[in-house]
Formats: sequence, C-alpha cells, structure tokens
Amino acid sequence: MKEYVLLMVSAALVNNVILARFLGLCSFMGVTTRIDTAVGMGMATTFVITVSSMADWAVQTFLLEPFSLGYLRTVTFILVIAAAVQFTEMTVKKVSPPLFQMLGIYLPLITTNCAVLGVALLLVEGRMSFISSTLFAFASAIGYSLVMVMFAGLRERLALVDVPRLFAGPPIGFIVASLLALAFMGFSGMSTS
Amino acid sequence: MINPADNTTDFSAPSMNEGIAHVVAVDGAVAWLEPEQTGSCGGCAASGSCGAKGIGTMASRLEYRRFQIDNEANLFVGERVVIGIPDNALIKASITAYAIPLATLLLAGALAQWRFGSDLVTMAAMVAGLVLGLGFSRVGAGWLLMQGDLAPRFLRRARPGETCNQS
Repeated sequence: MKEYVLLMVSAALVNNVILARFLGLCSFMGVTTRIDTAVGMGMATTFVITVSSMADWAVQTFLLEPFSLGYLRTVTFILVIAAAVQFTEMTVKKVSPPLFQMLGIYLPLITTNCAVLGVALLLVEGRMSFISSTLFAFASAIGYSLVMVMFAGLRERLALVDVPRLFAGPPIGFIVASLLALAFMGFSGMSTS
Repeated sequence: MINPADNTTDFSAPSMNEGIAHVVAVDGAVAWLEPEQTGSCGGCAASGSCGAKGIGTMASRLEYRRFQIDNEANLFVGERVVIGIPDNALIKASITAYAIPLATLLLAGALAQWRFGSDLVTMAAMVAGLVLGLGFSRVGAGWLLMQGDLAPRFLRRARPGETCNQS
C-alpha cells in the first residue's frame, strides 16, 4: 500500500508532468484562461491518460515485447492514444449528447497532447505491473490537472492586476509558470521516513 | 455619479459563461442556434463556440454544434443572440462524464488487485468498472439535464458588431 501511495505522490507532485517533465505545455498555456475550462481539460486528459495507459500496458506486454517489436512502440502508442480519444468521444456522445456538446472540444486537443504519450512511454520504461502503471498514469494526470487549475486561478487573478505593458499577457504567464515550477521543486526534498 | 443600472443588478443571479450564436432555424416554439466561430479556446460558452473541433470544414463543424432553445423571445432566422450557461455547468459536466467512470474503474481495479493479485483479473475488473461507471454517468447526465444545468439559456439579443470577447 505504501508503495502505491509513494508512486502516486511522486508522479503527481515530485515529477509533475508539466512543471518537472515539461510535457503538455501547449494546453498549459492555451486552456488556462479560465478555471472551468482548465477543469474540463484536466478531467478529460485524466480520463484519456488513464484509459490509454491501460491499453498501452496491454499492447506493450502482450504484443510488442513478446514479438520484439519495441522499435514500433512510439507509433503504436500514438495509434492507441488516438483510439482511446475516439473511444472516449464516442462513449461520451452515446452516454449523453448534451455532455458531449459541452465537453467535446477538449477531446481532439488531447490527441496531440504530448503529456499523454510521455506518460505512456514513462510507464513502459518503468516496467511496472498493471495496477502500478495505471495508478502512475492516473496520478500523473491528476498532477497535470492540479497544475492546470492552479495556473488558471493565477491567470484569472493576473487579469485583474496592473501588469507593466511589456509583460502583459503570455510573458507574465511564463514568469508565473516558472515561479510555480520553482515551488514544485520543493516537493523533491520530501522524505519518506 | 451613481449608475442607475447598479441599483437594478441582481447579484444573487447565477453568473454565466456567455457566447454568441445566430439563429439558423425556427421550428414552432423552438429555435435552432449555431455558435459563432471564435479564435480562442474556451473564450465563449466553452465548446459551444469553439472552432477547433475535429476534422472537416468550419461550416460542418459549426453545423455539428447546433443546439436548440425555447423560442420565448420570438427570435427569427439570422438574428444574433447572446446565450449563456451557468459558470459551474462545465465542472458538473466534467465530473459526471469523467470522474464517475474513473472512480469506479480505479475502485474495481484496487479491489481485484487486493483480492486476486493478478494483472489479467485486475485488467478485466477495471474494464468492468469503467462500463459500470459509464452507466452511472448516463444516469447522472440525465439528472443534470432534468435540472436544466446543461442547457444553454437565451440572455439577450447581441448588439451590432458585438463579439464574444466583448460580451
């Protein structure tokens, strides 16, 4: 149990997808103008990362490894991620058309989110069991969503303050992101004892 | 100087995400609206007005996003209107669509791993948990729909030249 908790804390905070691994930066800057859109994107990404990591683990374990097809890993994972996004889109549409109308926009954006592929490649490199890899992917996605929502909150506050003209807009956003990354570096000093 | 409008503002009313749409058809008491193209993601009523969706022409994407509202304001075809959804509607919808299936998926996986300790059984349990969660999501979405939380609402007619960023 302790092993799983450490794995999840490490994936979500210490090795945060955005602020430590620098993955998914385009959505980090692009979809964080409002908290609710950041939550929508974060939830959709969490769902897709978790589902696609399950599929990626199965493909890696039962197809790529036994047949020595490791060189096809990246291409295969991209295909799996696209299929997972399509599956999610079809499912949400089937489950509730109004929900799909409201949330559908985030799904195609996730296909090109490098954080999804990055997490899949990381969990394969880690040679984890199925449950560990799923929890690792889920926690990584939670870390991604957490940072998205925090940054969206900061940007909403930034929109109300008087920023010097040269720094207004994306420049002050990048400065705030770097300060947030510095703050997250503090998690690397955590001890388990 | 006191603005007279300040005295009439209803601060207890729920705040809305606003967006602009134009009326493409009127069918009795119902008006069909198409969201206007916008350049920034999430700027206007979330997905309803974003043009970055999917593959295909802009027209086909917007047509795909048509929605209907009650035509209580006697709208006519070609009119531009400001529509809104409650601020927290997107969060409620996200939780319903994604958090519930994820929770059941992880719960089923954790239980299977604790009980059997086999990757294959855990995988099957997670898939079953996902399907179960999607069923719960369907029920939750139906409830939200009944409450009217997901439905866009007519707010006012758009001023000439008004864009979603100015609304």
